[in-house]
Amino acid sequence: MKFLRIKAIAKKEIIQIRRDPLSLAMAFMMPVILLFIFGYAITLDVNNLRTVVYDQDRSSLSRELVAEFRESGYFTVVGYADTHKDIDKYLDSGKAQVAVWIPNDFSKNINTGKNAELQVIVDGSDSNTATIALGYITAISELYSQRIMGGRITPLIDPRVRVWYNPELKSRNYIIPGLIAVIMAVIAALLTSLTIAREWERGTMEQLISTPVKTPELIIGKLLPYFFIGFVDVALSVIMAVFVFEVPLRGNIFLLAVLSSIFLFGGLSLGILISIAAKSQLVASQISMVVTFLPAFLLSGFMYAIANMPKPLQVITHIIPARYFVSILKGIFLKGNTFKFLIFETILLTFFGLMVFALANKKFKKRVV
Amino acid sequence: MRSEDIAVKIESLTKRFGDFVAVDNINLTVKRGEVFGFLGPNGAGKSTTIKMLCGLLLPTSGRGFVGGYDIMKESEEIKKTIGYMSQKFSLYDDLTVEENISFFSGIYRVSNSKKKERMEWVLEMSGLKDRKGAITKTLPGGFKQRLALGCAVLHELPIIFLDEPTSGVDPISRRNFWNLIYDMSKAGTTIFVTTHYMDEADYCDRLALIYRGKIIAEGTPNELRREHMKQNVLEIETDRFVEAMEILQQEGIEAAIFGNLLHAVVADARIDIPRVKRILESSNIRVARIEKIPPSLEDVFVTLIESA
Amino acid sequence: MFERIKQMIIKEFIQVFRDRRMIAIVFFTPVMQLLVFGYAVTTDVNNISTAIYDLDKSYESRELVRRLGSSGYFNVRYSAESPDEMQELLDRGRITTAIQINRGFSSDLKNNRQTEVQILVDGTDSNTATVAMDYANRIIMKYTKDMGAQRVESMKIDLRTRAWYNPDLRSRNYNVPGVIAIVIMLTCLLLTSMAVVRERELGTMEQLMVTPLKPIEIMLGKTIPFAIIGFFDVFLVTMVGVFWFDIPIKGPIQLMPLTTAIYLLSVLGIGLFISTIARTQQQAMMATFLFFIPAVLLSGFMFPIENMQEIIQYGTYINPLRYFLVIIRGVFLKGSGIDILWPQMLSLLALGTAVITISSLRFKKRLG
Repeated sequence: MKFLRIKAIAKKEIIQIRRDPLSLAMAFMMPVILLFIFGYAITLDVNNLRTVVYDQDRSSLSRELVAEFRESGYFTVVGYADTHKDIDKYLDSGKAQVAVWIPNDFSKNINTGKNAELQVIVDGSDSNTATIALGYITAISELYSQRIMGGRITPLIDPRVRVWYNPELKSRNYIIPGLIAVIMAVIAALLTSLTIAREWERGTMEQLISTPVKTPELIIGKLLPYFFIGFVDVALSVIMAVFVFEVPLRGNIFLLAVLSSIFLFGGLSLGILISIAAKSQLVASQISMVVTFLPAFLLSGFMYAIANMPKPLQVITHIIPARYFVSILKGIFLKGNTFKFLIFETILLTFFGLMVFALANKKFKKRVV
Repeated sequence: MRSEDIAVKIESLTKRFGDFVAVDNINLTVKRGEVFGFLGPNGAGKSTTIKMLCGLLLPTSGRGFVGGYDIMKESEEIKKTIGYMSQKFSLYDDLTVEENISFFSGIYRVSNSKKKERMEWVLEMSGLKDRKGAITKTLPGGFKQRLALGCAVLHELPIIFLDEPTSGVDPISRRNFWNLIYDMSKAGTTIFVTTHYMDEADYCDRLALIYRGKIIAEGTPNELRREHMKQNVLEIETDRFVEAMEILQQEGIEAAIFGNLLHAVVADARIDIPRVKRILESSNIRVARIEKIPPSLEDVFVTLIESA
Repeated sequence: MFERIKQMIIKEFIQVFRDRRMIAIVFFTPVMQLLVFGYAVTTDVNNISTAIYDLDKSYESRELVRRLGSSGYFNVRYSAESPDEMQELLDRGRITTAIQINRGFSSDLKNNRQTEVQILVDGTDSNTATVAMDYANRIIMKYTKDMGAQRVESMKIDLRTRAWYNPDLRSRNYNVPGVIAIVIMLTCLLLTSMAVVRERELGTMEQLMVTPLKPIEIMLGKTIPFAIIGFFDVFLVTMVGVFWFDIPIKGPIQLMPLTTAIYLLSVLGIGLFISTIARTQQQAMMATFLFFIPAVLLSGFMFPIENMQEIIQYGTYINPLRYFLVIIRGVFLKGSGIDILWPQMLSLLALGTAVITISSLRFKKRLG
């Protein structure tokens, strides 16, 4: 392998990248935009549940209960129903997600020492929100129970809960490190998956393969500039995460840099492999979408916990590199993991990168057909 | 012939794409320092042959040697000793002239000391000295070509393969281009060119004519003219040349249109000039001029094809 | 005019499917994506990996552990022998929850003294953590009640809850219809933008321009094939959703073709728009993803729009996915008909018309 040829290929690629400022801008904008969306726009925290109240009792007790719900901050009363049918209308139209139905014997029962019934209906079509809403409702009604008893009964078992790593349960802290992994997986593919196919389409590849340039030289020469760009993207993401979104970075930043590089190498090589296999940019883009974007998004554990997936799917996630990178990032950011905790993931990522690189080299033929 | 004198040798070379036979059992020898032309209409198999010689395509059967190296087994060695200019003259459109030259210098590992000199050389021979900062995409076709040629040969290689290097280029640029090729040939480089322009055939030292994958003639331009055209060629000037052609063909006389003139192939000019005149005038076609002309290679080729 | 458009459509199909792999990609992958989505995307929290550190080892402590384990929520995988072990398991990510029952638990209960149970939760996944805490609390509360150890009833309020439309709270029912919308968007977007720009990049667009083809014909020729593919994909994916995942269709299914058409209007329009700003296929691909990812995230697919910041909520009004999601979920899960969904349909129509108009104008300008 000759360094001079690698340098020539890398230099050419850099010139071409510079002459396409739009793509370059997009490559840098993507992490920024995504981080902003996840950091500011989105939250998994559930608040402001639209609630309709059907109070058949209309007593001071029932009003107090409604006030409990309202003041928790989780529920927003959007209307009061006069009939049972009203509840249907509110829920069907989506005007309300929760309906609180207090029957007319509510206060009577409480005052005579009997159990009082409280009906709550949630819109189950968004089961995520519904589950969480139910949790809130249970908690609020229990607290209210205790209060009206005079607050003297302390339950025999007092559960003390401690939340580790993310004490305020800020969903942001949990999402952003994983998000960086997903962004990097996507960007790596976007950067390199078209590059070789493009040269075939334009005819310059035919010229290139008639020269003495060797396949590894070609691939490495192409990887280098994109590696640099990818690394800048990682740095940009980490800086934003720490300084703009105040996600704690408890681990070693050097370790983060090294492991990110290993992951990048694998992701970029995968893009090159796709480019070689596809031969046309259209096909390459479609393959890219299926092989990198979707698995990174859905099966990496970033958004949806792997433990909740059915077993066969869990097995499949083992071959998705983004999965390990998500663990690594969460570990370094939130848990302050040192290298010894991440050895397994590191080995896998290294292995993946080398294997894909080797495959790309093997698949590329210096022939036209 | 000693092997050092032979630059390219092809034996029974065949290439099949599924059922379609692109190159059918051809044999060829090209001597060192020759300008060898490979002529034929589009789709005849020229590009396919060149790509096999350059190691870009694997033959279905047969053997070939370029610079002494086997095209099947030693294609990487071949790539070190040849220059290739592909049909689409693929330079990097988004790079400047200078950047393209610099790139190919790097690929061919031109040493630092020679780099500047070769850069100057390419800029000179392509006439782009004062346009070295221009983006390649913006150059007119003729210049792009010369630049592509320059990039393909800047590393002073002994054998060059040019695939339709003059397609779509104006005649003046074409002449200039061939001057460049002569200069290189004089310096000892072997040049293997494909083209579908028959008039360029005369520029070559030796030629092979290929049609539908088979070589139908081979030799120097004069040899081809002499040996394959025992007949005479008449040039006929008439305003109704299309009709005239049809009438002659009906009489069993080979006729073809060249521009707005008619060429007819006859056995003996002395007998046939009056005969043709008679035939045409009896159909009320006025003949402005009719005379024997030396056969051009195009005539030769047309005849050969018709009989193939 | 129709003849020319027809020719263009045929050419487009030939070109797209010239590479056999495209057939697999265009038709097979939406189905595959649905399958993956359907199984992977679950916010149902079950099988929470748990460790127990039981210092009491009494009948009562073991009973509590048994209840936790058999609830289906907690997967009691480890029995820790020390606090360090719990810590290590948490650090390594082997468990999400650790429950520590102190010595004296059983005697405290028997003597009606208050006792404490420690619950440690890995907060890195705050969704799971919240739910885990809630479940643990509930199980413990119930255990308290069942112990009957209190003289006064603690629960005065008898809470009855019901979940409508999706009584088992299967998140899959919620997610799968949404996936249909997303999968179609990505495929159609990518195909349209890449196919148009590809012609420009290869130079054949110029060729088209010198023919009698009018700009509108070129546009239709380029978008109709992908609309057809889009429709086919919707149909295919819906079939899989209904027959494989048992997603109910409670509403008027005949509303779907109409709404899909309106939806595609926007999608193809956006694809066309991207093709007017991208000179190369590389740019087209990046621009598509740059639009698509935020569009999905801010559509209400995973994250409820009402929980977002005000400004962002206003922004979602120009996201066609937002409306289509409401429609598709409404039709499938809630049995909503046109009487309920007409605002969404109208908005989608307005949006689609606007997008297509702007894109066509730009397209014409780029051509001429």
